[in-house]
Amino acid sequence: MRKIHVRVAMVYIVIAIIFLIVRSFIVPPSFGEYGWYRGDSVSEIMNLSVKHAGSYSCSNCHQTEYKAWTTGKHSTVNCESCHGPLKYHVDDPGGSKVEVNATREFCGLCHNENPSRPEGFPQINLESHGNGFTCVTCHNPHYPWFD
Amino acid sequence: MKSTRREFIKNFGKIIPVVFFGLSFKKFIETVSAKENASTHHPGGDYDWNQHYYAFVVDSTKCIGCGRCVVACKEENDVPKEPFYFRTWVERYVWLNGEEEVKVDSPNGGFNGFPVIYDEKEIRKSYYVPKLCNQCDRPPCVQVCPVGATYKTNDGVVLVDEKYCIGCRYCIQACPYGARYLYPKHGEREPRRNTADKCTWCYHRITKGLKPACVEVCPVGARKFGDLKNPDDEINRILDENRVDVLKPEAGTRPKVFYLGIDGAEVR
Amino acid sequence: MSELLWQALQQVQGYVYPNEIEVNWSILIVFYPYITGLVAGAFIVASLERVFKVEAVKPTYRLALLTALAFLLAAPLPLVAHLGHPERALEIMFTPHLSSAMAGFGFVYAWYLLIVLLLEIGYDYRKDVVKWARTKRGLKGFLYRLLTMGDYDISKEALKKDEKLVGIITVIGLPSAAFLHGYVGFIFGSVKANPWWSSPLMPIIFLFSAMVSGIALVLLIYMASTKLRGKKLDMKCTDTLAGYLLYTYVLDLSLEFMEIAHLVYVQEEGIDAILTLINDRLFLSFIVIQIFLGTIVPIFLLVMAKTGLFRATIRKIFYIFAALLAMIGVLAMRWNVVIGGQMLSKSFRGFSTYILPIFGIEGLLTAVAIFILPFVLLFIFVKVLPPWEEPPIWESTEHQAVEGNGEG
Repeated sequence: MRKIHVRVAMVYIVIAIIFLIVRSFIVPPSFGEYGWYRGDSVSEIMNLSVKHAGSYSCSNCHQTEYKAWTTGKHSTVNCESCHGPLKYHVDDPGGSKVEVNATREFCGLCHNENPSRPEGFPQINLESHGNGFTCVTCHNPHYPWFD
Repeated sequence: MKSTRREFIKNFGKIIPVVFFGLSFKKFIETVSAKENASTHHPGGDYDWNQHYYAFVVDSTKCIGCGRCVVACKEENDVPKEPFYFRTWVERYVWLNGEEEVKVDSPNGGFNGFPVIYDEKEIRKSYYVPKLCNQCDRPPCVQVCPVGATYKTNDGVVLVDEKYCIGCRYCIQACPYGARYLYPKHGEREPRRNTADKCTWCYHRITKGLKPACVEVCPVGARKFGDLKNPDDEINRILDENRVDVLKPEAGTRPKVFYLGIDGAEVR
Repeated sequence: MSELLWQALQQVQGYVYPNEIEVNWSILIVFYPYITGLVAGAFIVASLERVFKVEAVKPTYRLALLTALAFLLAAPLPLVAHLGHPERALEIMFTPHLSSAMAGFGFVYAWYLLIVLLLEIGYDYRKDVVKWARTKRGLKGFLYRLLTMGDYDISKEALKKDEKLVGIITVIGLPSAAFLHGYVGFIFGSVKANPWWSSPLMPIIFLFSAMVSGIALVLLIYMASTKLRGKKLDMKCTDTLAGYLLYTYVLDLSLEFMEIAHLVYVQEEGIDAILTLINDRLFLSFIVIQIFLGTIVPIFLLVMAKTGLFRATIRKIFYIFAALLAMIGVLAMRWNVVIGGQMLSKSFRGFSTYILPIFGIEGLLTAVAIFILPFVLLFIFVKVLPPWEEPPIWESTEHQAVEGNGEG
């Protein structure tokens, strides 16, 4: 074996060893636990915070609205579809305020006439219907009526 | 003196490759056997990911294009509000009288609903199609990730590890559905910045027994989510009683989002 | 960045998925295959002499090797600069996901750099390095003594063995070079989501265009360096190189033609969008620059030079133009693949627009700076390891020096 070959080989071997040592420090311990990924990341994602609490969590405090809602035509529409994510409010009912968008445009998101919507879905012409009053003047959003 | 040194080097030169291969082989075996391991043990508390396998049904005939799902998704998952980043969005398909080509649009992903742009009389056919990650059974995005930062869980959801993603964006290129985007530098969730992001079917919700946020807020039940391994789940009945489409079946990705009431040849 | 996205949103044509407004692989990813292509091409020029015994191109052998090394060292820069998290770049070597075409990068790169290029250059230069180590003093002398790695054996026997070893390395190196670049083509060719990329021909097209650009680059550097050093150009070498440029060009053009012909003929889903892409969105960079200026014109010039109707001075001008156009044409090809592929929406219903920023990490200036870097490196390499054929200065002073510094 010539000197030069041995020296070159030594340099490469040293590089390879350094690589393996650094690798053993850097690769996260849970990598490969379940597959070719960092196992801990699954539980990290599972533990992300929930922001939509679900309609049932409203029932305790807002009994009147809840009862009306469950029997009305909007019963398929969950509380948070209109009121937005409310987990923060369920966690701290006293200390947080809930905003609600009661504009005509907001109701129009679902009910303004639009030919792409399914036939039979209740729609009105936002421009001609209701003389510009907000919808909630006549319709109770928790228990709506219409023909 | 000289000969012992040479011998030492010789032997040393033999040992090193053995150690090298030994180590990498051990790691290899560990990783391969990990897959078997995973069937008996699972991450995180009471939830056992081997007891569930999820599917999603989008009933296009019910969708009214209100965009509440898009809003809820962005709220639930810290998705930036600009019109370039979506985990889910809604498309509108319109066939006009006398025109062969379908017109598709999705203003701001449907976040603000859909303005009326055509008169009813001009239209032959029209409907909305909600889109989201298909959580493919053969996910091309997972296949191309060079570092193992995106993966399929045992319950069938494709996730991204925001602490491990290098931001190369190969997965974004590989997704046939445009379901992925790069979480921007100014995004609200700091550790996720500059990494790939996508719909997780709200993995943090479904593993607690909740529905994904978009399903939760859909006012007309156009989005259904359920567990294929639970025989009582409504999703099994829907899939049994209907003829369903998936998007781009020719891509061979085996999507787990099933569509009702779309023109399979046109919606992609 | 966000500002550019709002502009891009205004310029969307037809329908694109909302996540597609952002073009994710930027100008840097255009330069990455361009630079690795130059590496592979330059190495193939070098192996012409070694493997295929094309003696005429000997004057460019070492120059081509140093060029390949300079560009190889710059090749990872656009990739790393483009990453969202450059600090995690080494994960690609620590936990390579073997099903990913991209995961091979670290290992292919390391193999090519450490096993092929450095060894080939090291053993080829060994005789000279030992001589320089004996004669030079100061920092340069120290560097040479370091490079000898303590082995000063340049007996006839040792040199013969070196020669043989370099031959073996080149034989290994040739497929490695092809793999290094073919694999870059595979990164694109394997994306089934994108009909403009997805093609088994992609690696081969990338390889041949890489050879075109590499030969052109070595030709240009050879002509320029000869001029700068005030030497006479070896016309036989230049003509031979230009000949090889022509042959690879013809192959490259036919492959590109097959690819397009196949796309147009089979008329799979998305063909209408692809035709609009070619005829409208990429008209300038594809039809005008890549095909016409970057392929047809240089092939014409090279064919003209081959007819033997023109004097050496005229041929030289033809070669300069052909090589420059080749460099531009191949850059345009990379642009058309990388940017063009992302313009095409995967809905096949519209096109995104890529707005090239001038400043910023993913801007034009960064890309240009990264492209200039290998030339600077090459300049330094040439100073440290002169690749020229004619006897370097040390030979004229050799006799006095060896007497004085009789170490080793």
